Amino acid sequence: MKREFDFKHEMITFFRIVRTGAHNVFRNAWLSLAAVAVMLVALVIILSTVVLNVTANNAINELSKNLKVSIYLKDGADKNKTKELEKAIVTNPEVESIDFVSKDTAQERFTSSFKNDTQLLEGLTLLGGDTLPASYEVSVKDLSKLNEIETIANQDQYKDVVDSITLGRTDARKTIERAASAQKFITTASIFAASIFTIISILIIFNTIRIAIFTRSEEIRNMKLIGATPGYIRGPFLVETTIYGVVAGIVAATAVYSIILSIGSKIANQEEFADTYNFFTSPSVAVAVYVGTILVGVLVGIFSSALAMEKYLKLKRW
Amino acid sequence: MILLDRVSKAYVKKGEAALERINLHVEPKEFVIIIGPSGAGKSTLLKLLTREERPTSGKIIVGGIDYDKLKDRNIPQLRRKIGVVFQDFKLLSNKTVFENVAFALEIVGMSNREIQHTVPKVLNIVGLKGKENNYPSELSGGERQRVAIARAVVRQPKILIADEPTGNLDPKHAWDVIRVLEKINRYGTTVLLTTHNQEVVNRLKRRVIRIEKGRIVSDKAGGAYKE
Repeated sequence: MKREFDFKHEMITFFRIVRTGAHNVFRNAWLSLAAVAVMLVALVIILSTVVLNVTANNAINELSKNLKVSIYLKDGADKNKTKELEKAIVTNPEVESIDFVSKDTAQERFTSSFKNDTQLLEGLTLLGGDTLPASYEVSVKDLSKLNEIETIANQDQYKDVVDSITLGRTDARKTIERAASAQKFITTASIFAASIFTIISILIIFNTIRIAIFTRSEEIRNMKLIGATPGYIRGPFLVETTIYGVVAGIVAATAVYSIILSIGSKIANQEEFADTYNFFTSPSVAVAVYVGTILVGVLVGIFSSALAMEKYLKLKRW
Repeated sequence: MILLDRVSKAYVKKGEAALERINLHVEPKEFVIIIGPSGAGKSTLLKLLTREERPTSGKIIVGGIDYDKLKDRNIPQLRRKIGVVFQDFKLLSNKTVFENVAFALEIVGMSNREIQHTVPKVLNIVGLKGKENNYPSELSGGERQRVAIARAVVRQPKILIADEPTGNLDPKHAWDVIRVLEKINRYGTTVLLTTHNQEVVNRLKRRVIRIEKGRIVSDKAGGAYKE
């Protein structure tokens, strides 16, 4: 017995399956609502995890830009020794960048940052104008590796060239450390919450489909006996849970976006959050977030209903 | 049309054989009545034909299809060629008469236009013209069974299996149903009917097969209920 493939009939069948699935959403309206609601909560938590992480990361990066190791050089230090030190630092894998600040540049920077304090500048001029030392400003990839740079510069061989070392502004460092530990906590807590709610929504959707299978068991047996294919019986259940996923995904993304827009617009003028805000409000990212959230919802839905059908829809023994 | 060669069926749980070495040959367009006490194996025999059950041993060939070579994924195709009617009708209560019959055509991918064209014809044959928009709960038992028959034959199967279709019906309605089956048989469909109704058996004067304790004990053309 050969099955003929007939495009027209396949399309008709496909639309019938979709229609039946959509119809079934409303046959058990309260169960469907519960399934969508719990999936919505799970998706909002998952999405918030992502948003908070991106925000924290960007904020820490922004703060870290100001955090550098300054290695002050002695006046008239040996050029070769200095080069050697520079090389040792550049070749370290933890180093992001290294800048040489000459005595003149240091002077200019100082002057510009204290340009309103004429007394101080006058005093400086009296001292001869070249009081400030030259220095290397080193930024690292990972803030916890700041000390490593210090260790390199502190080696005995550079004793003659290095005057002193400072590890960035301490207030900035503390802020970053606090932000980093907050990020860690938020990530752990939200991954935990997201997993729990994902499992709960899988269970609820599983149960919704299980009940649907039981209430429609007579109908399903009928369908089998009059020659419905397994696909024709399974299809509507998959369509049903796909609809849950799409609805929950759209509502979840909209909810998170309304939070981003309402809170974000207030703090977007702060340097640490500007990038994040612009990132999330760009159209392409917004589309990606919507598509991604819907996709996660649909996957959770299909996974749960497939699980329920595997267990309760006895299609194996036809 | 139907050929059973030394077919046996034993249920694992019961241990006892439900059917033992059944040999049966049914010609196309035949009308065959299967009788016998409850638990004799009539329903098992029918379930073997619809592939709800598999034989423990023996060969089944229906409409040229050898069941040994039938793959699971082709079972829906087989069922589309065999119409089945049950004692308890098995109609979908949330669908109208028209929708119940149309359902059998929807699952095979028939277009709405074809369905609109075919269903009224079949409802006319089973005498349910004008009841298209009624729900099963609004019909009498006999009418419900005729809806079930309409659904079973709407795809013009080669074989119609009716498992005690009159079991729940009063005599008048039972005869309505039997007459519809005869009509369908006249159109060229092989009919297999199981029944406990003596009057039906005696008046139909068709081939009667008696099954007792899983064996065929008599097989007579123009047979009667009591020998």
